[in-house]
Amino acid sequence: MRKKSGVLVLSFMLAVVLILSACGKNENNAGTGSTETNNGTKQEATKEPAAEQVTVTLAGWGASPEEQDLLNQTLKEFETKYPNVKVNYEVIADQYMDVIKTRLIGGEGPDVFYLDAFEAPGLIERNVLEPLDSYVTPEFDVADFEQPMVDAFKQEGVSYGFPKDFSTLAMFYNKKDFAEAGITAPPTTWDELEEAAVKLTKKEGDKTVRYGFGVAPELARQMFMIQAFGGKVSDDEGNAAFASPDALKGLQLVTDMHNVDKASGEPKEVGAGWGGEMFGQGKASIVFEGNWAIPFLEQNYKDLDYGTAELPTVNGKKGTMAFTVAYVMNKESKKKEAAWQLISFLTGKEGMKTWTSKGFALPTRKSVAQELGYDKDELRSAIVAGASYATPWQAGSTLPTIMSNFNNQFVDTFMGNSKLEDAMKKAETVANKEIAAAK
Amino acid sequence: MAEASSWKKKLKNNATGYLFLLPTILVLGTFLFLPVFYSLYLSGHKVNLLGDVSYKWIGVNNFTRMAGDERAWIALKNTASFALFVVPLQTAFAIMLAVILNAKLRFKNFFRIVFFMPTVTSSAVLSLIFMWIYNSNGLLNRVLEFVGLHGYNWLGDPAVAMKAIMLMNIWSTAPFFMVVFLAALQDIPDALYESAMLDGAGAWRRFISITLPLIKPATFFTVVMGIIGTFQLFDQSYIFSAGSGGPNNSTLTVALLIYQYAFKNLDFGYASALAVMLAAVIMIVTLIQRKLFAEEKLN
Repeated sequence: MRKKSGVLVLSFMLAVVLILSACGKNENNAGTGSTETNNGTKQEATKEPAAEQVTVTLAGWGASPEEQDLLNQTLKEFETKYPNVKVNYEVIADQYMDVIKTRLIGGEGPDVFYLDAFEAPGLIERNVLEPLDSYVTPEFDVADFEQPMVDAFKQEGVSYGFPKDFSTLAMFYNKKDFAEAGITAPPTTWDELEEAAVKLTKKEGDKTVRYGFGVAPELARQMFMIQAFGGKVSDDEGNAAFASPDALKGLQLVTDMHNVDKASGEPKEVGAGWGGEMFGQGKASIVFEGNWAIPFLEQNYKDLDYGTAELPTVNGKKGTMAFTVAYVMNKESKKKEAAWQLISFLTGKEGMKTWTSKGFALPTRKSVAQELGYDKDELRSAIVAGASYATPWQAGSTLPTIMSNFNNQFVDTFMGNSKLEDAMKKAETVANKEIAAAK
Repeated sequence: MAEASSWKKKLKNNATGYLFLLPTILVLGTFLFLPVFYSLYLSGHKVNLLGDVSYKWIGVNNFTRMAGDERAWIALKNTASFALFVVPLQTAFAIMLAVILNAKLRFKNFFRIVFFMPTVTSSAVLSLIFMWIYNSNGLLNRVLEFVGLHGYNWLGDPAVAMKAIMLMNIWSTAPFFMVVFLAALQDIPDALYESAMLDGAGAWRRFISITLPLIKPATFFTVVMGIIGTFQLFDQSYIFSAGSGGPNNSTLTVALLIYQYAFKNLDFGYASALAVMLAAVIMIVTLIQRKLFAEEKLN
């Protein structure tokens, strides 16, 4: 018997190893393939110094086909303008940051890649990004960017990336549902939102078929609620601080609407994947979503009659979240000049105009925003308006740890399984323990 | 003289043998032994691989850190309860399926194929299909409502999220073990059953007194492999929770925790220490089982 199991285990191992080695081989092939198409052979063949061909790799996460086309168009424009630089654009389909980090460790990182503001402090601290200040020319015009979006990629005054686009959260509301419930104007305060959500919630038997308010119980979407009454996600040392009484006040509003009013629900409760889908399917009358939801709704729910407005005020103050992504350069890149040419084109006035021309993303340059007129766009003006007072989704290099602990406990209390204060205290303690242990 | 030549022959034989083994040894060495020893090495260090590479020897600190790591305990508890729930059920279920298939049924081959299907399907694909079934508006809730029970938010509610994964795991792994049992069942000589029948033993009695004792080696194999498999649960809880182990850590397993520490926090030293701990736990559990099964054999 023992022999039998040994053979089985061994053959299983062998199978795994074979699969692994096959994968490894493929990667190697792909690797050598791409380096061959890189400057290597070509460079020596054409010995004209001016037209030295350089290939820059650009990595990003996947998006809708339309967005992909638009990026390819922008890249083509870049290649016409800089004929000696070729862009090798790679899409990382899943677990973007894990893949990027692993590739950076292996010395196989792309020259230029997308970086979410949320992950920026961690990578900057690790010293793997190229500081960009020395490359910036006056024509690049840094002052033209929305200040908070540039600051998200700065540490100690040094810029490590320039934002390619951004979005804030706006309130999406279903006009038909509003008319049916007799609500004439979108709510402007949290109290009005609560009142409207109760009216808009629809039940069949004891099952809620439509929630007044669709909410995502996660830190990325709730950080501004923590700050509404003066709370903080983390303190100056990078420790979690979201269980303070001030922070709880804002979060209490969110959980109460779900557990006391029974007027809000998360997408999973009605079988949707995210807020935009929940809203499109008519399972929520109000959601807080960003610019990304507009093309999604247009494509999948053409007949939906909806409007957008700025988020309701909480505690008499305006607030929302801002999400931004930058192009950053790998410190180990061997083609830094060309990489900067690519970054400066994509985040420059010309490239950004093409990239944001169809409204899939909003420009971070004021001049481009003005030229394209998004501040007057019917659906996007509310999102643009939020930029001036939004909380950027960022809080130091410990945010990933803080976030996973917050999300874990917040979902639990949101579902009504625990008291908000206890859950947040627990999450804060565990997060701080983990932060201390990792030091 | 004769002795020397036989010694030479032996050496030659051995050399040929090892030559044949060389590719396997190389592959296993590179992809199995090297990583194992490297992670042993890492588990005693504080490692930074991204940016400025550094290895700092910190002795057993990574292991003492586990004692204070609440999530490590939760993960271990989740994993253990997962194994405790899944292994007996999947074994029982596998025996049941095997006995059914071993009976003289019509369309036996058809049923064999159908029963075996879940095992040859990728577990990532199965997880995605099950996420549809477990969806609040999905098949399972519809069925429950149809028979008058109320549905659950299977994936979002910490109280049931792990149960959902357990059910799916039992369903998808039992058929593999069924094949093992089926092979064992077919080794049992018919004569034993015939003589038992002559003695007046009923179907249940024959099952208890003949079938079960004779398939015991297969049971041992199944339980050991089951424990190892369940302790290494990763893909299903990863897909169900989108990598977070939530809600409220209810689907956090040790393997998922290792992944989170290694690739989310880039804390390879601590992650390796957790992996070593997991390996030790599996080894101890397996040894205990061997002891238990061996003792029964004496009786």
